[in-house]
Amino acid sequence: MSDALPAIRVENLSKRFRIRLDRSSSLKHRLTHWRSASRYRILEALHEVSFEVPTGQFIGIIGHNGSGKSTLLKILSRIYRPDDGRVAINGKVSPFLELGVGFNPELTARENVFLSGAILGLSRPELHRRFAEIIGFAELESFVDHKLKNFSSGMELRLAFALAIQAHAEVLLMDEVLAVGDAGFQQKCFDTFARYKKEGRTVVLVTHGLDAVNMYCDRALLLDHGRLAGDGPAPDITARYRRAMGAAVDSSHLNLEVVDRWGSRDVVVTGIEMQDERGVEDRNPLTGGFVRMEVGYLIQNDSVNEFNCVLRVSRQDGMVMWEASAPVTRYAAIGESQRGTTGTIRYDVPRLPLLDGSYTVTVELGERRSGSAFDHLEGAVPFRVIDRGSRHGLLDPGGSWTFMEST
Amino acid sequence: MFAPADARTPATEAGGPRQPSAFRHYRHLTLELAVTQFKLRYTKSALGYAWSLLKPAMLFGITYVIFVDLFHVEDGTPDYGIQLLLGIVTWTFFAECTAASMQAIAGSGGLIRKAYFPRSILVIAASLSSVFTFLINLTLVALIAVLLHQIDFGLRMLVVIPLLVELYFLVLGISLFLSALFVQYHDVGHIWEVLMQLLFYGSGVMFSLTYVLQRAGLAHRPGTAPTAPHFLWAAQLLAANPIMQIIEDLRHALVTPVAPWTASVVTGHLVALGQTHPLHASLLLPVPFLLVLLIFAGGALTFRSRARTFAEDL
Repeated sequence: MSDALPAIRVENLSKRFRIRLDRSSSLKHRLTHWRSASRYRILEALHEVSFEVPTGQFIGIIGHNGSGKSTLLKILSRIYRPDDGRVAINGKVSPFLELGVGFNPELTARENVFLSGAILGLSRPELHRRFAEIIGFAELESFVDHKLKNFSSGMELRLAFALAIQAHAEVLLMDEVLAVGDAGFQQKCFDTFARYKKEGRTVVLVTHGLDAVNMYCDRALLLDHGRLAGDGPAPDITARYRRAMGAAVDSSHLNLEVVDRWGSRDVVVTGIEMQDERGVEDRNPLTGGFVRMEVGYLIQNDSVNEFNCVLRVSRQDGMVMWEASAPVTRYAAIGESQRGTTGTIRYDVPRLPLLDGSYTVTVELGERRSGSAFDHLEGAVPFRVIDRGSRHGLLDPGGSWTFMEST
Repeated sequence: MFAPADARTPATEAGGPRQPSAFRHYRHLTLELAVTQFKLRYTKSALGYAWSLLKPAMLFGITYVIFVDLFHVEDGTPDYGIQLLLGIVTWTFFAECTAASMQAIAGSGGLIRKAYFPRSILVIAASLSSVFTFLINLTLVALIAVLLHQIDFGLRMLVVIPLLVELYFLVLGISLFLSALFVQYHDVGHIWEVLMQLLFYGSGVMFSLTYVLQRAGLAHRPGTAPTAPHFLWAAQLLAANPIMQIIEDLRHALVTPVAPWTASVVTGHLVALGQTHPLHASLLLPVPFLLVLLIFAGGALTFRSRARTFAEDL
């Protein structure tokens, strides 16, 4: 752990793929077109990516499909060769990325353990010694000599996972291992991650599960079209990725300046307004003045008849000033589909305590119990508070002075 | 065998104690893959493994009837039957091993795209099950020869070992070359099929070098002019073919010393020949061995340069 050498060092890594445009890959074509170079398009999968991973770190790689995540992982595992740049790995790397590589449906569970285990780098005596443990972990004791093709996908997955966690590698590369399996399986994965973390192993996790990245990764890399678009603490990077994803969601009808948006859209925000006491839109409220937030919503899913509305006011640097939330439960008693129902939520602040500065309001409509977002608009309403008194500090708590003279 | 020499840290390269463990691991993986392929190959047939022994026996039966009963090719060749059987067993190994290994890379796309290991392991593993069958078949041939009292024990039998090594290097070189090209050009499959047909007749499976020289009118009358010069040319070509040389020498080493070494045929008969210059004929001697070396080196180099992009090409 105190090792000064980083577990992984990647310098200016670039990888290009040649996508052949002329589909024919026959010798005849080669012979008849031997003068003209093959026509192909170059796809730059990775462009000058550099980073270091210290030993024992859990790092998540996120990014949209085709951003180069898996290519990066395949270069780290030596499956692909880089075109430019250097990759240095200190320690034994797990030789495979997905679960169940080398599994053959025609072989029995036992035979598959020995074959896939060999790919994983486990010796035969070792596999013999741990065989009972592997089968036990996979809960397949009574299916040891059944062919894999007769297994359910869940059984196969349990076997693959039970085997994969036996790997000795100091650097583990995992590609979307969490994308499959039920809740129980994912819990097993997380328990294993926790154990790896304790053992000081380095783990590189490629996944779309941003929550898992937030929970388990010390750090995250964001890839965008083959370029490193972000590198930092996991929550920061996942939030940035969410914003980038949200930007792709259509929010033109909202007429808001900065909208970073995500959620299941079972209930959507149809409009947000910041108003003064006369009901007129005003983004420049006065300290101590009246402020009203109005949020319009539309229910789009039959099964939704209650939700939470959360308003969060943050300073420009991200510091949350306060958060207000209230349940919208008025449809719960009606008991029929509210699909298509629209409504407006109002939140009034009689005396705005904020002093001079720039702030934003984040709006989220979410599931009442789990809290998962229906529609989240990060920093949806930027506003500027004007303090006529030019006072120091953050807040005007609305305190009052009393002066008493003693005689 | 062909570990990529890409940008690794000194830390990984200088991992002194790690090298043998990596070697052990890859040896273990090779065997595990070979055993799996062996199992899978015979899993869906009623007779299973017996097929690999029955096939050469059937081919032998057909060839024997045609060439002995119809064409009398055995004339003057001692113990023709057992020699034919040995030729067929050797040829079957050559043909099946190269054909199976050719698909080794193209047929393992899933593994290559998802796991790292030296790719040559797949070709070696694919060849091993043929090697195993060949060794069993070879033992059976020797047993049959013992039963027929057509075997002559002697120290020369030890030469079988280097001959088998030579044969394996030849097969592996061809397999590496074909499997690497097959990834992008499936045409090599068809070309190889035709080429094998040619090689079958050009490798003395059902005749010996001595027989060809007899047809040239030379074998028993050294020093005289050949009555059929084109057979002489054929004999010279055949003597250069490593498969011919291996089959001939296996016949001599494993079964009977009556069947001469390739070398003694070349030096004894071709050199003794009026038309052929002695120096010219003995130049033929190292040709089969050089060809094996050349084919192996060419195959290994082709494989190595193409293996870099197998994961992308597949």
